[in-house]
Amino acid sequence: MTGTLSVDSIDALIEALAAVGYQAERRLATAVFLSLRLQRPLLLEGEPGVGKTELAKALSKVLGRPLIRLQCYDGMEQREALYEWNHAAQLMHMRAQPEGVNPDQLEREIYQEKYLIRRPLLQALETAAPGAVLLIDEVDRADAPFEAFLLEYLGEFQVSIPEFGTIHATCAPVTILTSNRTRDLNDAVKRRCLYQWLDYPERERELAIVQAQVPQAGQALAEQVATFVARLRSAPFVNAFSRSPGIAESVEWARALVALNTLKLDPEVVQDTVGILFKQREDIAALEPMLEALLQPAADTDSST
Amino acid sequence: MQLGDARSGKLAENIIGFGRTLRRAGLPMDSSRIGLGVQAAVLVGLEAKADLRAALLATLVCRQQDQAVFDQLFDAYFRNPELTQQLLAQMLPKTTEAAPKPKRLARAQEALAAVRAAINQPPREEEKIEFDAALSASDRARLRHADFESLSASEFRLVERLAREIPLPWPQLKARRLQSASHGVRLDWRRTLRESASYDAEILSLPYLARRLEPLPVLLLIDVSGSMERYARLMLAFLHQSTRRVARSVFAFGNHLTDLNSVFRLTDTDAMLEGANRLISDFAGGTQIGVSLAALRRTQSRQLVGRRTVVLLISDGLDTGSQEQLEAELAWLKRNSRSLLWLNPMLRFEEYQPKASGAAVLHKKVDGMLAIHNLARLEDLAHSLRQLVKR
Repeated sequence: MTGTLSVDSIDALIEALAAVGYQAERRLATAVFLSLRLQRPLLLEGEPGVGKTELAKALSKVLGRPLIRLQCYDGMEQREALYEWNHAAQLMHMRAQPEGVNPDQLEREIYQEKYLIRRPLLQALETAAPGAVLLIDEVDRADAPFEAFLLEYLGEFQVSIPEFGTIHATCAPVTILTSNRTRDLNDAVKRRCLYQWLDYPERERELAIVQAQVPQAGQALAEQVATFVARLRSAPFVNAFSRSPGIAESVEWARALVALNTLKLDPEVVQDTVGILFKQREDIAALEPMLEALLQPAADTDSST
Repeated sequence: MQLGDARSGKLAENIIGFGRTLRRAGLPMDSSRIGLGVQAAVLVGLEAKADLRAALLATLVCRQQDQAVFDQLFDAYFRNPELTQQLLAQMLPKTTEAAPKPKRLARAQEALAAVRAAINQPPREEEKIEFDAALSASDRARLRHADFESLSASEFRLVERLAREIPLPWPQLKARRLQSASHGVRLDWRRTLRESASYDAEILSLPYLARRLEPLPVLLLIDVSGSMERYARLMLAFLHQSTRRVARSVFAFGNHLTDLNSVFRLTDTDAMLEGANRLISDFAGGTQIGVSLAALRRTQSRQLVGRRTVVLLISDGLDTGSQEQLEAELAWLKRNSRSLLWLNPMLRFEEYQPKASGAAVLHKKVDGMLAIHNLARLEDLAHSLRQLVKR
């Protein structure tokens, strides 16, 4: 798996990603290709369940690099994302010193590398060749001050530790940031990244994804699932729901339908499994009167499109 | 213009030109970004136009809302750069209009007008002239309790200025982020060690970390229908200044929803008001709160996270839309926010009862109703807010 060699063009990357089960649009593949070549972090924004996190996982497989994941959350601090000192060990070291040690000497001893606890960002920097894939997941969940901790890493692939010095990347990690856009990220972060907005896939690509992920589903069922979900996401149906189902949900739904030995969608089976597509009571209620229209035979739309 | 060979510099030139065009269309763009775009174009090559488009999109665009502009300009620019100029002019009518003479800011304009008035007046009448700028104490007292609707045009302008200076201490919440403190939720080990290292490993004091206080985020929804014209303008000015340090998003609604976030980022309130005027196409039109809230739910629902947001709905409740929709949308808003407060200028009438159809629904759904029809009420707002939000 000499990953980097096999992705010397956009087409090769699309193929390699497809081989590990990720169907990438050409536009997205171009962005990923550039981020690899230009060694820039890639910021992915989009609705939940369009495959942002999956891309990082697929990329780690394609490149044969370990995936290091940093899940962001509100109130996340430097010590959870970058590094922390092992205070207990430092304290023991200090206590074990004989009387009258030179304080400067003591400080130097305490802030040694062995007392440094490495958190994901630092781990990613220190991963030996071929380097790591670092996934900074849902960066919009962390608060705005946290973004400042990322800047040095994103810009230069290095982390400065005041007591210790600057740690540079041995091999620039492939860095993917994802955001659900619950808030706008700071321009300083965006400046350092390539950007890609991920949309829901069109019907054909969704069909390919469902077939790749759930091979047990028959052609007819997979097509029905893709059509049904594509209709849910388009006007006029989409206006009725607070949130459209993502790819993850349609794959999960196909799995459920296979488990129930469904060969063909009908209103009843949709009602029984609707909890996979929608997680809001209002949405489920809104779906019911529309079922007939949504389940209109695909031939109707196929001939028109 | 033909795309040339990268080595001859034609490509770089074209992409720089394209980057500058995007900048003029309002996309954030600096030279390092354009440089990155050139590198990307060299990497993907020029054989496939779609690849070049994708490469430039990934490097030059960093916001989803700019994607459509990018697409249009890309098509135009790489076919005919001259055509782009016309397209740009169509997209941004203001750039061509605003260019010839820089307009004075309203504040500067007024300041100059006062000086000019002073010069033009015959000296004899001087004692009779009342300048807006020099406001006597009794004037202030009178204006504090005067309903905004009853003011003359010049008084209104004055009151609007005064409203900008009213402070609004915003309710705060303990955030998850920590900061040093004398006592708190956990020990600041890092500091403890740093300090003790210089006292021969003796720990003399224990610095703590405590949860930091942060203002609650706010969502402002301002009714700009005909009946609300004055209040809307005044509240925009007031809230623009008083919620400066709060994480906020702002939308105006009448018949539809208008995103005011971009103009609220301006620091100058006059510029903000001018920008808002330009953006709001249904100023002084009808009101359909339900429809506007539905639009908010569809496009901005991800902005309301963790039920922390305080929603201020500024409206007189004279709604012409469907009641069922209004009720459903308000229920959604309430479920997803910490407090849903209705700032109602109709409370200026002593015996006001929320009986009109829209108002009745609003009254039933909101967590509290506050009056905002004069300066005194605005001054009390902070106090009432804190009490209502604490509940």
